[in-house]
Amino acid sequence: MYGLVDAVSFYASAEKVFDPKIRNKPVVVLTNNDGCICAVCPIARRLGIPKFTPYFQVKSLLDKHGVIVRSSNYELYADLSERMMNVMSRFCDNQYIYSIDESFLHFDNFDSYVKDWHEYGHKIRKAVWKETRLPVGVGFGTTLTLSKAANHAAKKLSGFNGVAVISDEMSRMAILDKMKVCDIWGIGGKISQRLKQQGIHTAAQLANELPKHIGNQFNVVVERTVNELNGVSCLSWDEVQSPKKEIFSTRSFGQRITDVVALRTALVTHASIVAKKIRKQSSLVKKIMVFASNSPHDDLYYKQAIVYSFSMATDNSCHLANAIDKVINSIFSEGVKFYRCGVGAITLESKAFIQPDLFIPNQSNPALMQCLDKINQRYGDGMLTLGSAGHDDKWQMRRQFLSPQYTSQWSDIPKIRC
Amino acid sequence: MYSIVGFYMKVIPIYAEAGISGFESPAAEYKELGLSLDQLLIKHPNATFIGQASGHSMKGIGIFDGDILIVDRSLSVKNGDVIVANFNGCFVCKLIDKTQARLLSASSAFAPVSITPEDEFTVEGVVTRSIRLHHKSPELIACMG
Repeated sequence: MYGLVDAVSFYASAEKVFDPKIRNKPVVVLTNNDGCICAVCPIARRLGIPKFTPYFQVKSLLDKHGVIVRSSNYELYADLSERMMNVMSRFCDNQYIYSIDESFLHFDNFDSYVKDWHEYGHKIRKAVWKETRLPVGVGFGTTLTLSKAANHAAKKLSGFNGVAVISDEMSRMAILDKMKVCDIWGIGGKISQRLKQQGIHTAAQLANELPKHIGNQFNVVVERTVNELNGVSCLSWDEVQSPKKEIFSTRSFGQRITDVVALRTALVTHASIVAKKIRKQSSLVKKIMVFASNSPHDDLYYKQAIVYSFSMATDNSCHLANAIDKVINSIFSEGVKFYRCGVGAITLESKAFIQPDLFIPNQSNPALMQCLDKINQRYGDGMLTLGSAGHDDKWQMRRQFLSPQYTSQWSDIPKIRC
Repeated sequence: MYSIVGFYMKVIPIYAEAGISGFESPAAEYKELGLSLDQLLIKHPNATFIGQASGHSMKGIGIFDGDILIVDRSLSVKNGDVIVANFNGCFVCKLIDKTQARLLSASSAFAPVSITPEDEFTVEGVVTRSIRLHHKSPELIACMG
């Protein structure tokens, strides 16, 4: 049996944990730069607050309903995520954390221990709620895809109270029948459009297709999904966690930038973010793309992108910053009011298969980078940066509605009235 | 020699060295034997949070304004426990009287408060430790104001 446990609108729920004032209020959380709504708590959802809409478009709607708005408090979410994952790990010896707010569980030989999966699911929900004050949904299924479908049912379909189980033919068809193809794990927007054109609207209909037939029409991934929907396990941990092939960091500026130093500072910051993400997935970068532009709506559109190749693949922030130094003069142009810039790692290699070069000394400094990452994890991003990334905040993230860092800053711990 | 850092007060042992190269400290192999305040004070790390007392109603049981409270959410509440509750949208620290559904202070200056069905009330956890900072801590000064 597989399980998928995930938090109900995690960011919004996390905001409520240490702020009892807003427990029973509608809460939304905004993305980076306070741009879009990325999480809507159930109370706000019932008010019809849409997800993924730009904040400024719904501002009056939010004001009208007295909705509490928060910026993304990643420090708080990371801490609560770890606690939540640890609590659920007590219930299964094989856990795979899939994202910040969801975790797969693989129950091998649990049949003699767990007699009733519904009851077991509620046990997990209760424990996570009691110990972390985060609401979670639990889905069980005989494959990863079915556990994901059950989880969807647990949270979105009526008649399920946060737990759903697909353990036999009846429970499988009951859930798949009510599920749209676009809600199936691994079926993207384009594929679900094409399936609809063929008259396949529900998950149950897709499950009834011949896997080989679907495989020929689409690809092997969709073929596997059909198998998985029929209870045939095709996916394993290793396949669901493939590292990213490209990593980008890019953002538009709060104010236009016209001098070379400010542009360099912004690019080095993006390079540092990219380097950190590369280290996180244990990759190395061979080629980066550095780009900057003004707005396409400007009179004269200016865009410059340069690809820089490292002699040896690296994950060192300093190496990426040096690369910025080498290309900055080719990117900058006098008189251009820069609106946007970014850095992308376009050729990534696995650290496990690194090919050393006899004539180039290995200059990576893993100890320094580890130290950098640890300090920033502990005291918040941006605590320790490269000198060339500066401390100018023109380009920095806007987090106007940020809540306190209740669990990672002594000065922010919750006050308790006596 | 040790230093206390961070939220969970992990004690990081630092080598005791003689400071002469080539002469290793005889204590080097004991470096793992530091005392951890976390180990002593926090039984359920995932279910525990740290807060700060504000106010004078719990003096009678030794909780003073500015004390650090360690709150364990995983324990079940027994009558007479010191608890932290969400009472009408505010975290409060009180003694719980389960038989009469009341929140009791530990000071004669504060009357008991009855919990009515109209009140928003949830137990947030049991206060398992309280810590007095006899010297002011720079990390906490910001929140004492």
